[in-house]
Amino acid sequence: MLFSERSLWTMIHGIGLGGGALLALGAALFALYLLRAGDLRSTGAGRASGPMAGLTAFTALMLWLTSIVGMFVVFPPYRATPPEGTTDLAPFPRALVLADPETAWLHAFGMETKEHLPWIAAMLATAVAFVAWRHRAKLFEDPHLRRMGTILLVICFVGVAYTSLLGVFLNKVAPLE
Amino acid sequence: METGAPEHAATAEAALVGRPNGAAWAAFLAAGIGTFAMGFFVILNVAGIFAAPAVYGPSGGASGRATFAVIAWLISWVVLHRRWRDRHVEPGRISTVTLVLIALGILATFPPLWELL
Repeated sequence: MLFSERSLWTMIHGIGLGGGALLALGAALFALYLLRAGDLRSTGAGRASGPMAGLTAFTALMLWLTSIVGMFVVFPPYRATPPEGTTDLAPFPRALVLADPETAWLHAFGMETKEHLPWIAAMLATAVAFVAWRHRAKLFEDPHLRRMGTILLVICFVGVAYTSLLGVFLNKVAPLE
Repeated sequence: METGAPEHAATAEAALVGRPNGAAWAAFLAAGIGTFAMGFFVILNVAGIFAAPAVYGPSGGASGRATFAVIAWLISWVVLHRRWRDRHVEPGRISTVTLVLIALGILATFPPLWELL
């Protein structure tokens, strides 16, 4: 087989789900930018509020799936402890990166961050999705709701982009095969 | 006289716009509480005060910390939603508290901060 099962799940987690979440976050932020209150009449934000609710719900779903697959499918083989006396650490990514002082930060900093930030992003995105669904056009009209929604989505975008980059580094140095 | 779709849509939209904002701010604040809870459990673990039990053994304590934070988020959301859903709340202080909780929660998940403990 061209790719191992673990490798496939890593790609699903990082590229499919995480990448999808990033794209959706970018689209949602762009929509919030375009549908500012001052432009409501000309751009038809009332009609766009339904699709915006769908987009933010999709974003939240992708973030939850990314977090769940990451934590319960990809993380266990990553952190598996090698048996006593093992010399080839390639099948044990965490042990592999920790064995070299130059790469130890990838776990000590990188993965330790990746364990928590995606869950935070999922919670924040869910809040925005709920507001978009329940309040529809008010998300664009009410400046306070729009500002908070934008801030939370920006935090999500930065956090997810950051953890994605760390994931790329980790997979480059210690791929899950 | 015809009653067309646009009239109905405008009425429905007006009803949505007039809805109290309490539920929205409950969702935002709960997300802030959940974020803070995540950072809180991380710090407790790093300080050796409380290690959340692993919900899934192969994932270790991280699964416990994440689960506990999500539970804290959901409980706070339910409580706040029930209290605020039919109210209009002033967003100023709530938004500040929410953002402070988020900032603290995210900061607490960063390993360099752990060295200060």
